[in-house]
Amino acid sequence: MSDVWTDRLSEYLDDELPPRERAELESHLTGCAECSATLAELRRVVARAHALESTGPAGDLWPGIAARIGATPTSRTEGRRSAGAQGRFTFSLPQLLAAGIALMVLSGGSVWLLHAGSAATPVASVSPQPPADSGLGTPVSWQRRAAPRYDAAVADLERVLAEGRGRLDTTTVRVLEQNLRVIDQAIEQARRAVAADSANAYLNSHLAETMRQKLDLLRQAASLVSAAS
Amino acid sequence: MLFALVPALAALTLIQQIDSTVPVEKGQRLEVDLFAGDVDVKTWAKNAVRVVADPGGPGRVEIERSATALSVRTTGRRGPPSSTDITLTVPAWMALDISGVNTDITIAGARGSISAETVQGDVTAEGGEGLVSVKSVQGGVSLTGAKGRIDANSVNADVEVHRSSGEISTETVNGSIELVGTDATTLTATSVNGDLSYDGPVHAGGRYSLSTHNGDITLAMDEKTSAAVSVSTFNGEFESDFPVTLTETRKGKRFNFTLGSGSAQVTLESFQGTISLVRPGSQHHRDRDHDDDE
Repeated sequence: MSDVWTDRLSEYLDDELPPRERAELESHLTGCAECSATLAELRRVVARAHALESTGPAGDLWPGIAARIGATPTSRTEGRRSAGAQGRFTFSLPQLLAAGIALMVLSGGSVWLLHAGSAATPVASVSPQPPADSGLGTPVSWQRRAAPRYDAAVADLERVLAEGRGRLDTTTVRVLEQNLRVIDQAIEQARRAVAADSANAYLNSHLAETMRQKLDLLRQAASLVSAAS
Repeated sequence: MLFALVPALAALTLIQQIDSTVPVEKGQRLEVDLFAGDVDVKTWAKNAVRVVADPGGPGRVEIERSATALSVRTTGRRGPPSSTDITLTVPAWMALDISGVNTDITIAGARGSISAETVQGDVTAEGGEGLVSVKSVQGGVSLTGAKGRIDANSVNADVEVHRSSGEISTETVNGSIELVGTDATTLTATSVNGDLSYDGPVHAGGRYSLSTHNGDITLAMDEKTSAAVSVSTFNGEFESDFPVTLTETRKGKRFNFTLGSGSAQVTLESFQGTISLVRPGSQHHRDRDHDDDE
């Protein structure tokens, strides 16, 4: 990721390059293995994102959490539509970091953009149609606001579990917490790996996938609490 | 005691075992909601559902028939329902929607869609066509002979899918996933702390993604398969029963190779486990040898 074209690859994928630059880039791709590889990775990440199936959280819990984090879809159907049909992504390389993570965390009718730790270098910009009322003018500002949203969503769901744990069987609570620890450990290991190799698309998407699993498990836990109420 | 119930609500107080048979029509589905106790579903050739309930204490079993569904649920007089084992015999075509909390769910011979979910307990299903979803939080999930769009999930235990076919998605957090004799047109298998294995055909145009954080991945694949394979690991290893020619390597332990024309897309990712390509059928023998060694 060392030449002038790497930052234009996402525009190329989005068919946003002027014809002349497009032709120049295509010519460049024939002789630049690194850009070709990066483009292939981008395509793969986008393909994986498109293949994602949104999983809605517990219906009665979700509206409050969605409102808290600024997600606009009001139904699971809308959420699925937004994850699939609105999947227009603009990447700013050299790092695929946020791209991998954000795309893998499209979920539950909301789009959460994550990045690898608070100390992460300026990350790729991703503009998966931020909420209309968000006032997010640029991909960068959207990205900056996304990580707190993920943290807030996790905190909300953890609070639901903490407040509702008395309604669940103690064994179930223990199993849920044990599995959350397993995921947290994996997230921590993946974060350290990303910190050591921040341009590694696999590590970034793996981190995103693991964080997605934490969200899913927390949603499942919240759903159990809701069902037991 | 055999009851033929007319359509309407029939609430039966559980004083002794009940044995009721309710006529159903094609298109109606079975809904079962149980708090505790086991659900055992079998099939027969009749267009009727037989409900046999074994009470474990005071409470009620409610059987309700509507135009679209026959629903069976347990209710408690005060607090949660007592544990009740229920055996149901249903037409093979009937769609099944079964949920429980402290419940083992067993299904055999189903030919309709299946949705089976429990919290504490295992789900063991044989059959199912169309949408087949089997899930448990604390227990294991085993699915055999299903066809269609398959979703098999656990949180804290293993998932097994045998002799099934279709679009398969399977996930667990703290357990292994094993797909044997299974014909997936697309496959997603994900775990955090567990091994993954798939032994079945890799179809042209199909997408196969196996990803784990802390486990090994074993993919049975004939070297004549047409597939573009992407392998990624952070701190793991890769091994193959047959030689592969890398088409692309990237920083870290990431590389691609192509078999045949590369029409299927295969993604294998293990953060810190070993990724193995084996010849079809060899995984079973390896497991057996390993068991013998132990």
